[in-house]
Amino acid sequence: MIATDIPEYLRQDAEVAARFSRLKERTVALSVRNLTKHFETPKGTITALKDVSFDVHKREFMSVIGPSGCGKSTLVRILAGLETATEGELLVYDQPASGPGPDRGMVFQGYTLFPWLTVKQNVMFGPKVAGMPVIFAESEAREWIELVGLSKFENSYPHQLSGGMKQRVAIARALANQPRVLFMDEPFGALDAQTRANMQAYLLEIWKNVDITIVFITHDLDEAVFLSDRILVLDANPGRVNEIVEVAVPRPRTFTQVADPMFMATRKHIEHLIHPPGTPENENFPVLRMAVSDPDVL
Amino acid sequence: MSCPDFLKGWFVVRRELPGSRKALLTTLSFLMPIALWCIVSYVPFIWHPDIKLTLAANTERISGVFTAGNRLSRDYFPQYVEAVRLDNKETIAARAAGTATPGAKRANRLLLRQLAPVAIDNGWLPRGEEQNDALLYQLWGDLATGKKIALTPKLSADNLAIARENWAILSASSPVFESSKLPDQLLLKLIPQGIPSNPVYLPPPHEVIQAGWRDFQAPRVGENPTMGERYQHSIRIILFGFIWSCIVGVPLGILGGVYDFFSRLIGPFVDFFRYMPAPTFSTLLVAVLSAHDAPKVALVFLGTVFQMILIVSKTTRLLDPALLEAAQTLGAKPRQMITHVVLPGILPNLYNDLRILLGWAWTWLVIAELIGVKSGLTGFLDTQGTFRNFDRVFPVIILIGLTGFVTDQILAFFHGVFFPWAGTSGPVSRAISNVVAWPVRNLLQYTRRINAPSDLP
Repeated sequence: MIATDIPEYLRQDAEVAARFSRLKERTVALSVRNLTKHFETPKGTITALKDVSFDVHKREFMSVIGPSGCGKSTLVRILAGLETATEGELLVYDQPASGPGPDRGMVFQGYTLFPWLTVKQNVMFGPKVAGMPVIFAESEAREWIELVGLSKFENSYPHQLSGGMKQRVAIARALANQPRVLFMDEPFGALDAQTRANMQAYLLEIWKNVDITIVFITHDLDEAVFLSDRILVLDANPGRVNEIVEVAVPRPRTFTQVADPMFMATRKHIEHLIHPPGTPENENFPVLRMAVSDPDVL
Repeated sequence: MSCPDFLKGWFVVRRELPGSRKALLTTLSFLMPIALWCIVSYVPFIWHPDIKLTLAANTERISGVFTAGNRLSRDYFPQYVEAVRLDNKETIAARAAGTATPGAKRANRLLLRQLAPVAIDNGWLPRGEEQNDALLYQLWGDLATGKKIALTPKLSADNLAIARENWAILSASSPVFESSKLPDQLLLKLIPQGIPSNPVYLPPPHEVIQAGWRDFQAPRVGENPTMGERYQHSIRIILFGFIWSCIVGVPLGILGGVYDFFSRLIGPFVDFFRYMPAPTFSTLLVAVLSAHDAPKVALVFLGTVFQMILIVSKTTRLLDPALLEAAQTLGAKPRQMITHVVLPGILPNLYNDLRILLGWAWTWLVIAELIGVKSGLTGFLDTQGTFRNFDRVFPVIILIGLTGFVTDQILAFFHGVFFPWAGTSGPVSRAISNVVAWPVRNLLQYTRRINAPSDLP
């Protein structure tokens, strides 16, 4: 039986444990304190987030995962400053942050590239509105475009690019602004499985080469485990921190690790957190009664 | 039974037809109405409820006075003909009795001119020479002796007989026209002739084309502007009205779309005002702005601007809010969000809106040109329409439609040239836009390079 072979998800080998202790000694890049968000609706107040607190260390890769409706998108929108929290505090390198700002970059699921700008101009947008002379912004943009491997397309318009390419431009655009923390709200959710896998590997590659702290929202368990140092698991109704799971899978990550016992243990644990076994959710489907006459079907 | 390939695939639910078929149908959509018009006009047994007179006669037996070119209903025409025949019978009877008719010389002189329309249509008499009695006199002779034969229109046998009878009397007193030598006894009237025709409001295509050709070639006469000048005048009214409307409407619309403040402040009143029809202000506008072009421009402006404010602010509001959020996370300030995101983002849709609103402005043209001093194409339309010269009205209506349509098509094409990133460009517009953009882009890069700080990384 495989089950007995899978080790407990908390068991970290020496190398991973050392890495985590080093990680925790780094400065805190993003600190979230008692974040609460209420929505006023005609039917009454809905609590989307309740007392969410966590720290993200410098150059850490943290994922946020949870069942649908747990408020993970609301959380990231508050962190990026696009919405205001009802209560609570947000610190970026110990500085309170309010409202959107260039210190916190964001990559959206819907690409949100400016369709009237070429790839290069899109990437130049942040530096330009910050007042950087065009000639500098341009050469900087070129470097970021090279980093995401789209040099050939720097003068193309977004509508000429594929979904994966668009998202690479969006990443380059966010990075060109040199944010201290990068939020990614289900960035690969709209991509097909093949492209998504490539983009995940690509993102890790970029993260390795760029000094950036990433908070990554996803609903895909494999994606979260594959990418992250730690995974913040949210409960739904109201959104609360259930557990912050340390992923004990060693780095550098490769796709072969998906079959690793460590990987599977972590994945299974999080799955149980999100869908506790025995919840009726899966048993609500009607029983199908079909008369199949072909004996070869089963 | 298999059907041939060209019949297959015309009707497929929600699928576009291939290019050649689209082109064919586009052509047909114009050809069909024209063909219908031709059929109704030229196939004699379809409709044709009237008789168009080619030869008219005056008679006191009926209340109306008709001249050649007038239309009578098919039912009434026989009565008219009968009335003229009765006149002739009376004349013959009077002749036999030897009763003198007072004023016969003068009546005969007018009677001789009865031939004028036939002479003009046959090309014997130039237009405008209808009172050239000497020539007409000679023509009576020519027709009577068979020297000339009328072909378009033909003279009926009755009328030829009448011509001969009249000429016998005329030639007896003088071989050439001399007003004093006109006979003292009444001549016979030619019997009215006509061809089946459609009502006056549906002239056949060739007449419309001829009338249009004549009108557009016509030189300036006194105060009356030529058609070209009228056309320019109309276009000027539209353009100025539209440009003023853009100057006011576009900024207000964008403000309303961006800031809820302006939307609440302007929106309700604009909504109310646009239900007051612009023409209701025409007299007021004339009183305020005097009678020339200003009130006309103002009417086009009033008719367009309120729609423009609403449509532009709607377009602005439709800009994907995620783009604004993205810009915010990239550090754009509120002012920069308008200049760097809202304006460029709405531009292609704004362009399309303005294109549609320009068409909207055209609909106000006719009313605008009627207020104060009538002017432009509408002045002509109004005058000719009153005289029921619909063959001269149609070319102008078609010209207005054609101008709007062609402008719209050209502007639609330029959408692809101006906004290559909107994905609507065809190969031609993309090529043009590249050709135009190339020097601009290079010039920009060059100026940046020479203006660049020396410590370039």
